[in-house]
Amino acid sequence: MRSLMIFVAAIAALAIARPAGAVTCPGDPACCSSLPNPIYAQVGDTQTNLMRAFSRALRDNTPEPMTLVFITSPSCTNIDDFYNHTAAITGTMQYAPSIAQSPTWNIFTSPTLTCTPDPGQFPDIGNSAVFISSCTTQAVPTTVFEETGGIQAYVLAVPRASDQIAITFEEAYFVFGFGMAGMIMPWTDTTQFFIRKTTTSTLLTWAANIAVPAAKWMGTQEAGSPQVVQALQQTANPEAAIGILGAEVYDANRDTLKELAFRSKDQYAAYFADSTETSFDRQNVRDGHYTVWSPTVWMVNTDGNGNAVKQDAKNVIDMIANKQVTPAPNFDPLVLTAEVGLTPDCSMRVQRMTPMDGTPLSLYMPPEGSCTCKFLSIVDETTCATCNSSNPCTSGVCRDGYCEEF
Amino acid sequence: MTRASIFLAVSLAFAAACGNSSSAPKDAGGDAAVTDGGGVDASCFTNPQTHYEIINACTTAQKIYKDSHPPLLNPDGTLPPLP
Repeated sequence: MRSLMIFVAAIAALAIARPAGAVTCPGDPACCSSLPNPIYAQVGDTQTNLMRAFSRALRDNTPEPMTLVFITSPSCTNIDDFYNHTAAITGTMQYAPSIAQSPTWNIFTSPTLTCTPDPGQFPDIGNSAVFISSCTTQAVPTTVFEETGGIQAYVLAVPRASDQIAITFEEAYFVFGFGMAGMIMPWTDTTQFFIRKTTTSTLLTWAANIAVPAAKWMGTQEAGSPQVVQALQQTANPEAAIGILGAEVYDANRDTLKELAFRSKDQYAAYFADSTETSFDRQNVRDGHYTVWSPTVWMVNTDGNGNAVKQDAKNVIDMIANKQVTPAPNFDPLVLTAEVGLTPDCSMRVQRMTPMDGTPLSLYMPPEGSCTCKFLSIVDETTCATCNSSNPCTSGVCRDGYCEEF
Repeated sequence: MTRASIFLAVSLAFAAACGNSSSAPKDAGGDAAVTDGGGVDASCFTNPQTHYEIINACTTAQKIYKDSHPPLLNPDGTLPPLP
């Protein structure tokens, strides 16, 4: 009994000495710097599931374990912070538990763990889910290395109760650029337009694709994608409601939301990002029928001579870009990338003619070789022939067990 | 005018009205959007090279045809400047 009283008293004393939320870093176990090999990432909120997936995998990456801790903020903010060290990380960061800590943790649904960054901590990894040129004309500093990861698609979504199934480039121009005066039924009530801030990749990509500059958009600027989802789900007027989302956010909410097929300028028909409204194959992104997408851009710090300041951070963005790293991870980065809704570069057959959002498309053959069959095997289904050393392909190239096109 | 020349003139008139079959938008007509299960559009491009051809390339993907007439669209089909 006495022991119990001492224990209770000790707990009470701790609670008094350190009010909830007060963490002094470094040194406290709740500090990110107390975690094993922390890598700090500041990313757009469309990349949340990618961060959760990589954070989970890297915790148990036996060849080089890391704790990928991340925080989300708008793409343009991330670029500015990375290029100019505008502001150190101040918010609470998230990370995934290891398998030992939580064997059944789910990358999509389970809560993350949190930690507090040390004062003055700048990110090791930065991310933009939009072309850099949509945010700044500033040249890439010599202390920053950039590379491109998966392709991020964006959708216009409506409540599932809406009767609408498609929208054209011209209609979207009048809806978001003119509001009620645009007279595009049923989207005339700007209080039912759920958009994002002008520094976010979701809004910037759509802005470039419907010719409405970010500053001209009409609607309610929501703080994040979850708020857009919630607003669409809870609206009392589903027919008038419309919102912008990353495709992977929409994917996770298909039971309550509906993607509008989009007909871009000069296009005959409207298309979904996927080949059908129920598939997950991103076929129309990959072949150019769906134009509303941006590359994800990943940044790490260098010493000014091209050498990464933190090699593990460089390895993480190399994995995200589906490049080989040493030591090789004990998981397949492409699987993680595809599972969270990004389209890997190696499955793309189109590219932007210039590195700017909304610019025309041109044909593209990824130099690393095709991974389309593998991608489809992960996200949907593939009809590609399988192969191995004793069962070669009759055409194409045998890669990762599939007969890829090239 | 011979019967043959009348037939030719009528044919040309129809051709002009329809435009180039490889570039004319194929709308289903009416105000409602109409979904196509994924058949190949007769006016699509089989060997796309340019942006225009890429976005209108032949595909088995689901297509939605929408005959849209925004009231504020200029008579020549261009967009008015934003307010």
